Amino acid sequence: MTDNRRQVLDMLAARQITVEEADRLIAAIEEGPMPAAATGLVERPATAPRYLRVIIDAVDDDEGPIKVNVRAPLQLLRAGVRLASLIPPQAQDEVNTALRKHGVGFDLSQIKPENLDELIDHLGDLTVDVEGERNTKVRVFCE
Amino acid sequence: MIPLAAVIAVRPDRRSSDRRLWIPVPLFLVWLLALPFLVLALPIFFIACQASRVDPFRALWILWQLLCALRTTRVSVEHREASILVHIF
Repeated sequence: MTDNRRQVLDMLAARQITVEEADRLIAAIEEGPMPAAATGLVERPATAPRYLRVIIDAVDDDEGPIKVNVRAPLQLLRAGVRLASLIPPQAQDEVNTALRKHGVGFDLSQIKPENLDELIDHLGDLTVDVEGERNTKVRVFCE
Repeated sequence: MIPLAAVIAVRPDRRSSDRRLWIPVPLFLVWLLALPFLVLALPIFFIACQASRVDPFRALWILWQLLCALRTTRVSVEHREASILVHIF
């Protein structure tokens, strides 16, 4: 077993990647030698992601194809989440109660700047692809 | 630094790919015009912050950061009939 394959399986075992991602990575390893940066297994690129991209391709029966392309700076996300700290305590309690009622055990008061920075740093590894009915595709990633 | 300009590009018809109407928006003029009103609204803002037990200076700082972070935001929507692009500089 090659080191790369073992690394992928370790990441899968540690639940850092999904089964589909592991499958893709192993397929890429089997295809032949690739640059280390392309596999994303060795070192993360030195440049941190700066933008959050949201691309939506939808086809409406009446309206035809609709494309939405949003590029928002991650700094905006950072500042936006900091707004949560401005929510008055009473309102925070109400929001937390409503979240719990809907099965989301999330406490707004636990959002700290240091957690936020860590979260945004890890967003660089995130890619979300959603394919819905009627050819609606949503892609969220950082660049 | 807060965004000083923005561009809105509107294409009324998708088929006319070259006919895009570029509308520059000098945001610095908007800020200058809004400044007196913002100064007038400041006491109300401080009272509202005190009432909701929020640090007004912290709130102002976060709002300022939010405004600054708007730079380089780009939103584009394309439709069969029209398309629009908003780019903040």
